[in-house]
Amino acid sequence: MLSFVIRRTFYAIPALIAVSFISFMVIALPPGDFVDRLAQERAALGDTMTATEIQSLRAAYGLDRPVLTQYWTWISGIVLRGDFGYSFSWNLPVSEVIWPRIGLTVVLSVASLLFIWVVAIPIGIYSAVRRYSVGDYVFTFIGFLGLAIPNFLLALAVMYVAFTVFGQHVGGLFSPQYVEAPWSWGKVMDLFAHLWLPMIVLGTAGTANVIRVIRANLIDEVRKPYVTAARAKGMVETRLLLKYPVRHALNPFVSSQNDIFVDIISGGTIVAIVMGLQTTGPLLLDALRTQDMNMAASFILMLSVLVVLGTLLSDLVLGWLDPRIRYQQG
Amino acid sequence: MIKKPTSAMLAGLLAATAISGVPAMAQETTASAMCSVFGEAPQLADRVASGDLPPVEQRLPKEPLVIRAAEIGTYGGTLVDSWGGGNLADQRHFGYEPLVRWSVDGSEVVPAIAKGWEISEDATRYTFFLREGMKWSDGHPFTADDILYWWDRVENNPKIMTGGPRGEFAVDGEFPAVTKVDDFTVRFEWTKPNGLFLQHMAGPYGQRVVQFPAHYMERFDIDANPEGVAELMQAAGTTNYASWWQGNVGSYNDPAQFNDPDRPSVHGWIATDTILGKERITFVRNPYYFAVDADCQQLPYIDNRTWMHTSDAEVTLLQVIQGNITISPRNISIPQNRAVFFDNQDAGGYRLVNATSCDYNTAVLNFSVNHTDPVRAEVFQSKDFRVGVSHAINRQEIIDTVYLGQGEPFQPAPLPNSPFYNEAMAKNYTEFDLDQANQYLDRILPRNENGVRVGPDGEPFRFTVDINADFKPDTVDAFQLIERTWQQVGLDVTIRYHANELFGNFRSAPDRDAVVWVGENGCGQLPLLNLDRFMNHYGYWSKGNWDGWAAWDTLRLNPGATLADGVEPVTPPENIQRLYELRSIIPTRVGEEQEALMKEFTDLHAEEFLSIGLATPAGFYRSVSNDLRNVPEEFIEGWLYPGPAPSNFATYYFAQ
Repeated sequence: MLSFVIRRTFYAIPALIAVSFISFMVIALPPGDFVDRLAQERAALGDTMTATEIQSLRAAYGLDRPVLTQYWTWISGIVLRGDFGYSFSWNLPVSEVIWPRIGLTVVLSVASLLFIWVVAIPIGIYSAVRRYSVGDYVFTFIGFLGLAIPNFLLALAVMYVAFTVFGQHVGGLFSPQYVEAPWSWGKVMDLFAHLWLPMIVLGTAGTANVIRVIRANLIDEVRKPYVTAARAKGMVETRLLLKYPVRHALNPFVSSQNDIFVDIISGGTIVAIVMGLQTTGPLLLDALRTQDMNMAASFILMLSVLVVLGTLLSDLVLGWLDPRIRYQQG
Repeated sequence: MIKKPTSAMLAGLLAATAISGVPAMAQETTASAMCSVFGEAPQLADRVASGDLPPVEQRLPKEPLVIRAAEIGTYGGTLVDSWGGGNLADQRHFGYEPLVRWSVDGSEVVPAIAKGWEISEDATRYTFFLREGMKWSDGHPFTADDILYWWDRVENNPKIMTGGPRGEFAVDGEFPAVTKVDDFTVRFEWTKPNGLFLQHMAGPYGQRVVQFPAHYMERFDIDANPEGVAELMQAAGTTNYASWWQGNVGSYNDPAQFNDPDRPSVHGWIATDTILGKERITFVRNPYYFAVDADCQQLPYIDNRTWMHTSDAEVTLLQVIQGNITISPRNISIPQNRAVFFDNQDAGGYRLVNATSCDYNTAVLNFSVNHTDPVRAEVFQSKDFRVGVSHAINRQEIIDTVYLGQGEPFQPAPLPNSPFYNEAMAKNYTEFDLDQANQYLDRILPRNENGVRVGPDGEPFRFTVDINADFKPDTVDAFQLIERTWQQVGLDVTIRYHANELFGNFRSAPDRDAVVWVGENGCGQLPLLNLDRFMNHYGYWSKGNWDGWAAWDTLRLNPGATLADGVEPVTPPENIQRLYELRSIIPTRVGEEQEALMKEFTDLHAEEFLSIGLATPAGFYRSVSNDLRNVPEEFIEGWLYPGPAPSNFATYYFAQ
């Protein structure tokens, strides 16, 4: 097992080097650079940047150097000093911008994952067991609606209803007085008061998806002979259901969670923008749009590391669940 | 609304001419003569009582600026703005406290930090008189040395401004000599007359003059404090002084500018914490702010300014209609949103205040007269072509459908409220007339036997227009209508709509045919400061698409200049040569001579008809909290007049 882990980790290194290089180049690929974007942004305000201002800015950010040099400066900073570089648009070190947001992002994502599991798994089981009942049709209908409606549209609709019908303060994860306040009991409570809205919006599509997966798997399982055998032995129905077919039905669902970390960090970007959430998604989008090189590339690198970690973890879990996988590994 | 020319306005306009001595203006009445006792905000009085602050008389200058607003206000409250993160100071909402400022109606330049000024007869020498006893927000005196520090150690410091000072301080390429006459008198001097300096000082680029408290800034000066700066730079992990300075100290428009809560300023409100990366920030009252109201109470009335970060326009809109933002920002206060604003007035507790735009056109269309393809160059240089194209635009239909009936058909020209308004330049060829359009177009693009318009080379002629679809979505709607009427006169046109991120590339591509941008700074005296725009020149950001002519002009002014790759100078026709000359000459003239040259400039433009416009922008407004008072009846929006800031936020107050 240990050698399996070491081997896997070792394989990840060239993959990460390639990802960091390619993503940096792809971000640099469009014509123009951050300073051009900035000049255009200023022009949209009415401001004009002079040629000398632009040149000095470009020199200050190192954008006048070849892109390979820029890449080397950035990646060597990360490898040698753990320094992700400077975000041009935020005028702050990249890590100072990203880290404070990761905490909130994780809270939100974990909350919506829990929401999905708590809601979807029982409904999936119910739908499979009471197949073609009225309840099954109702849940299936709602599930398809959840899949079909884009998240951001749902977010806009929910915000509008919350504002016009309930007069609730919407947008953001905190009330104004808590936004920049240090953590306190009041702030935690305030967070929970705001969390449910994005949690539901982010959770609906996932919920529908999980319901469908579990329903389909479970329908296959409940027809298998071992279920009939257990039932013939006089096992109580609920206990029988949960102990055998549901466990089997959950397997493909669990192994499909290998991109869970990526979802946690970058999930729901558009929803976050629409709802004004202080999560990481909007940061990444802005960084890409403005060609804020260090920021965007560092972000993508972090996401890649998380993909590698998630895959490693799901491999390990599968290997633990199913010995055949473990022994097949050469 | 900017007033029609009045005597006061002309006095401002001609400030550079024969004004010897300080012009008499209301604000400039000395307060010390009227006031024996000054009022102050209750929380400041508490701090004075506890010995934390000196009494108000010692905090104010001997002659504070008196700002007479409509009403005497009461202290208190928080004004909430939205903010996109990063740079706080869009000067139109915060940070406008220049040496001299625009009057509320934009008609003249009035005293601010400078209590007055003196301009020599020939306009080569500008002397500004500062306020004795005025203090930075940390209580340190504000003197002529601070302005000299800015000029010598910032603006002219090649280690900071690696490219030298901004062009607004120069006349005909020459930068002034800045001297200290005494502690409270500063002089700017050129060898040539400078006809526009005062107006430039009142605009966005004048703010930097009063942004650098010498006593505080010296610690960031690599020559004055090499060890200290080296330590700071090491802590920040950088080796480039210019970039470190920009990222950690900063001038106007650098996000770092307000990020240091310890940096003294002259503004009405000051920071209490860093701002970068924050979601919500609050500035508090500056106890040393240098202005009082008519009752000798120290301004500002409002206690705090707060900015909430909103990343998306729809979110900002939602926050405004929920009543969370005191004055709605410009980007969402557009005619298309008016119904939403109107419907939620009661729920959001705000009213709508009309805003006049200083933009002289919603969209300006410029053809690439020096196109690399000689056929296109010939067609685009033909006035017949441009007139035909212009007549084939149904401006009234665009106004009615896209701009909700607001505005009037207009070419790129000074607005009617400007003393430089020229009716021919503004109104020629604006009527929608397909017959006339066909007549003009037939002269340069005759139809062949199939009815297809062909160029001078006998080949079918087609062209493209590049538009930034994100910048002003109304342009997209307008050009969809224009495309239809152009096709009716046989023009084979492709309109290309680009995302903001990509527009830059098409705008500067060598083979672009036509580019659209907004027309800015057209009201009052602003056209005088904005001659570049009328020559299709947008600073470095874009030299426009008259590359060859612009190159010719560059070489005319500086025969040794290096041109951009692939650009060949093209000698323009005589009238256009004169237009370029006038652009260089007008800033160096004053008074009637300057006015006469402006008339020649607009007349020549009317005759040559180089750029095509659509309509005057109208129908703008802002939502303003119901309890916010001393707000003008109408805002003026602009850039060189950075409205609404000149309307004196310091005098706004919340009714109890």
